[in-house]
Amino acid sequence: MSRLPHGGLIDRSRPLNFRFDGETFAGFEGDTLASALLANDVKLVGRSFKYHRPRGILTAGSEEPNALVTLRSGARAEPNTRATMVQLFEGLEAQSQNRWPNLKLDLMAVNQLAGPMFAAGFYYKTFMWPRPFWEKVYEPVIRRAAGLGELSGLPDPDTYDHDHAFCDLLVIGAGPAGLSAALTVGRAGLRVILAEDDWELGGRLLADRQQVDGLAGEIWAERARQELSSLPNVKVLTRTAVFGIYDGREYAAIERLADHLPSPAEGQPRQRLWKIVAKRAILATGAIERPIVFGGNDRPGVMQAGAVRTYVNRFAAMPGRRAVLFTSSDSGWQTALDLQAVGIEVAVVVDPRSSAPTVASDVQRAGAQVFLDAHVRKASGVPVSKVEIMRSDGRVVKLSADLVAISGGWNPAIGLGSNLGHRPKWCDERGCFLLDQTPPGLTAAGAAAGRFTLAEALADGAAKAVEAASDLGTTCTAPDFAVSEESDAGAAYWSAPAPRGKAFVDFQNDVTDKDVALAAREGFVSIEHMKRYTTLGMATDQGKSGQLNGHALLAQQIGKSIAETGTILSRAPYQPVAIGALAGHQRGENFRPVRQTASHDWAAENGAAFANVGQWKRAQWYARQGETHWRESVDREVTMTRSGVGICDVSTLGKIDVQGPDAGVLLDRLYINTFSTLNVGKARYGVMLREDGMVMDDGTVTHFAEDSFYVTTTTANAAPVMQHIDFARQVLWPDLDVQATSVTEQWATWSVAGPKSRELLQAAFPDLDLSNDSFPFMAAAKFVWQGNPARIFRVSFSGELAFEVSVPALKGQDLLAHLLASGEPFDAIPYGTEALGVMRIEKGHPAGNELNGQTTAADLGLARMMSKKKDYIGRVMAARPGLVDEARPRLVGLRPLDASEVLRAGAHLLPLGAAPVAVNDQGYVTSAAWSPTLGHSIALALLSHGAERHGETVLVHDPVRGGDIEAAVCDPVFLDPEGERMRG
Amino acid sequence: MRLPCPYCGNRDAAEFVYRGDAAPRRPDGEAGMFDYVYLRDNRAGEMRELWYHAQGCRNWIVVTRDTVTHEIHGSELARDNKR
Amino acid sequence: MGEALTVSERTGLGIATVMARRGVDAAAIGAVLGCALPGGPGWRNGGDLSAIGTGPGTWLVMTETGSGDFAEDLTQRFRGLASVTDQSSAYAVFRLSGHDARTLLQRGVSIDLHPAAFAPGSAATSMISHIGVIFWQMDDAPTYEVAVFRSLAGSFRHWLDSVAATL
Repeated sequence: MSRLPHGGLIDRSRPLNFRFDGETFAGFEGDTLASALLANDVKLVGRSFKYHRPRGILTAGSEEPNALVTLRSGARAEPNTRATMVQLFEGLEAQSQNRWPNLKLDLMAVNQLAGPMFAAGFYYKTFMWPRPFWEKVYEPVIRRAAGLGELSGLPDPDTYDHDHAFCDLLVIGAGPAGLSAALTVGRAGLRVILAEDDWELGGRLLADRQQVDGLAGEIWAERARQELSSLPNVKVLTRTAVFGIYDGREYAAIERLADHLPSPAEGQPRQRLWKIVAKRAILATGAIERPIVFGGNDRPGVMQAGAVRTYVNRFAAMPGRRAVLFTSSDSGWQTALDLQAVGIEVAVVVDPRSSAPTVASDVQRAGAQVFLDAHVRKASGVPVSKVEIMRSDGRVVKLSADLVAISGGWNPAIGLGSNLGHRPKWCDERGCFLLDQTPPGLTAAGAAAGRFTLAEALADGAAKAVEAASDLGTTCTAPDFAVSEESDAGAAYWSAPAPRGKAFVDFQNDVTDKDVALAAREGFVSIEHMKRYTTLGMATDQGKSGQLNGHALLAQQIGKSIAETGTILSRAPYQPVAIGALAGHQRGENFRPVRQTASHDWAAENGAAFANVGQWKRAQWYARQGETHWRESVDREVTMTRSGVGICDVSTLGKIDVQGPDAGVLLDRLYINTFSTLNVGKARYGVMLREDGMVMDDGTVTHFAEDSFYVTTTTANAAPVMQHIDFARQVLWPDLDVQATSVTEQWATWSVAGPKSRELLQAAFPDLDLSNDSFPFMAAAKFVWQGNPARIFRVSFSGELAFEVSVPALKGQDLLAHLLASGEPFDAIPYGTEALGVMRIEKGHPAGNELNGQTTAADLGLARMMSKKKDYIGRVMAARPGLVDEARPRLVGLRPLDASEVLRAGAHLLPLGAAPVAVNDQGYVTSAAWSPTLGHSIALALLSHGAERHGETVLVHDPVRGGDIEAAVCDPVFLDPEGERMRG
Repeated sequence: MRLPCPYCGNRDAAEFVYRGDAAPRRPDGEAGMFDYVYLRDNRAGEMRELWYHAQGCRNWIVVTRDTVTHEIHGSELARDNKR
Repeated sequence: MGEALTVSERTGLGIATVMARRGVDAAAIGAVLGCALPGGPGWRNGGDLSAIGTGPGTWLVMTETGSGDFAEDLTQRFRGLASVTDQSSAYAVFRLSGHDARTLLQRGVSIDLHPAAFAPGSAATSMISHIGVIFWQMDDAPTYEVAVFRSLAGSFRHWLDSVAATL
């Protein structure tokens, strides 16, 4: 065991059992998985991505690149979970990744012997030939050899919630700067949200032996937490990572509600996605310690110096028994002192600088040697056991150690601040990249702003908070803090000169110093190109720990300063986010909203198969007992409607009330035909164009009162047409006095079609006179049914004598029942959208397949409707030579010469005998159906010069589904071309 | 992303439908119609754009937005838009 | 303190969209209605009528004593002043009340519901879980009402029940 007998913030009275790779271990409440593993002497935690190198724990935070495990098992298994971020719980189960057959003996580790195979850019250069080998051989082999954890492949059993928050100030990170900012503004009464990734507030105060106001850091942090929690205007979100900044001062955060529990409580979500809108924000995300590039710097047992302090001070876990410190910063020396304070031997402190900080004498007094002007050349052993040090005199010292603590200085954790494209700038004075410009409303504070000492961080957090409050018109005062002294002196030190063996700049993606050098040699000298060529910083950790070392190495290679080469931008998400959290409650059948008509339940009970039409569920057909194939149902519905009467739910059509003194004028400008002259009590078919001259939609317009029209649209175009009408009346012609609003949801509408439809309706509504004289084709009327407003229209889509009846949606099912009851003597049946489709194809009515955004009114045979007496949207552009060309594909009907052949939509039309090449293409089939009325397959098609080619035979070419069919071109109206049925 | 609606206030951008440059004006006749339909400036910097608050007050609005920084400088109802 | 959350659906409402004609202001409409109208997005209650501002010159007017001819009656009264459309069937109206109601609603809408920003009398047209909603706050309980298109009521209930389960 490597647990210190006392100290730390773990609760020794609450032991917890957990399993790693099948072995049972014990930890304590307050541990992370990483600290518990270290306390159990487990140093080898995973295998690396490409080379299968043994890896341990590098950090104690969210930047961890190495200690990635699969947490939990079964459907809840989550790969690539950072052991440093997992709060230990009873029964926790974790597996190491990317090893076979097991972690200690990984046969894939031979990958590192095949070194060049995985060097940067190798794929691009080598796997070019022979081409089929790429897909069939190389990629599968590489994918098997490289990679990290695997998904379970099972549905995620957990639920995820969404929430929204608004505040004056969002403080991202609850370390010293964040706490001081939140306290400063919180006390002034502004609305504050403090978001902290950890489950405890305090940041480095939990890990370093520092004092604030005479209190140990963790005690001061706890008092701050208590005070903030007592303020009603402050919301503290722990276990919450802000992962993205968006335009409009919007921030996304993920709150891990139940990841510290064996499983979420019944009915409770696992995580919650927050969208936070903040007037001001303070980025107090601290800093990430730089590793140093040297041979074997990825060996288990090589650890960031700050992480070593965290494990010793916060978790009372000993990461080793004999340490070598390799540091170019004074903070690294503090690690030596902290190790010595708990009785861990520090063999040597190696500092590449030529002078030692003042604490050096204390370190030496406690038994450590000090090598200045020196560097670690190589670490070896798994876990690390030997360290080679190059001294200033050129002598190489080899010594044994099981811990190498490294610090090359600190990188402010400013990734979020560059989400919107603000590129960080190098600051020589502080030796790091800082946010030069920031997203609107955001400021960095504390270590994230290069204020690395505790005193500076506390003061900076408060000062930035005062500034933010002042921007919002609130005066508040920055509190004073009495803080212990520390030094943040250090040199930016990236790499040991001439490292021996593999030296890593990106641990998670296995990118070495040599890959960077190769990229530079091959001309990838822009930081963004080098990133993509080497994959530096492109793993799930986004290169938080090491990639800046790579940028510095690139600068060295090309003889520039790091200020000149710069660094990359960071994209959201700053930390990995589960897809389930983004989806929230929208999953499975609730993936998107579903719209149901008034008779949905009735339809479901009566054999309806539903189709998705946009969000609507529409009944396609109503299968009767004994019908085993959909065609049986559809053929029956068509035949019974054409010979008797059928009832179809057309409630999903878009419906819009257009009212006001200028309603007619507006409609005249929207449609190609004229409505201002339409008599009250009449409906008319209309077509509207887009401004570019193409057909936008069709439908009917009914004139109900002098200043009131009722417009219908196709189901699919209901929203676009509403938007189009609003555009016309608000943007194009705001001077018109016209109002418009959607009434799609108000009215449930049934089409009653067939030769017996009049008889049925007359029985249903005995008070109405529906005779041809009183209520001719295209007549419309309002009436009252059982005390409810109702409307009846004599319009026909099927070509039969037909009516549409509308009542308020709440009465829709009642009306259907009434119609069916009234229709019993006539064998009335419900029919679905398939039968509707067959009947409209038989009648040659264009629908969605023909209104495809590429057809003109003339293409659809509707040129005669285009008014020459008025202007309307699309008129000018529809007259373009290209759109009036007679050679354009025009709507025709097709019937197969051999009546047993089946026409299919999507097939292309060729002259007989022509080769099936694009140049011979003369059009295509838009809609096809089996016509039970005619007893053969029929189709609508768009055919070049189509209107003049009735009677001609064309080849219907279908290379995808096979089979060419000869078909006769005919009028698109297959049935009752004179319209006697519907007018009768 | 948030957008200011002159009637509803600041709203999630998902509530809006984007149309584009608010500058082109529909000509009354044939002259200029082609330009109106097809020609657009590709402006870097401040631009007045039409958005439709489809999931809100159903008004077309003109938003002044910097296409480089995405900063939004204001909005007004399109029907009030003095061009 | 009352129940943490009660959810009910309101029935028997008369609902109409009232859109002012060009040049007619809210005061003129309100005078005919006998109920002061909100100039912006807001909810006003006047006797047996209430009105919610849903757009410039546009209100949703509701009555509890709704009958089939509520909209027809308004049409007659507003002749020349406003266009009226019957929406009595178009919306399902849910009432959410209790101290968890704000938390619940905030999970759905990206609009600040803090009492300082959204109080009794406030209203908004927005969306929840990709479903269009009009909602307004009636009292400090707080009590909200949320109107959704009737065809989407099932999907809205799914969201509501899913989130209510997490409270």
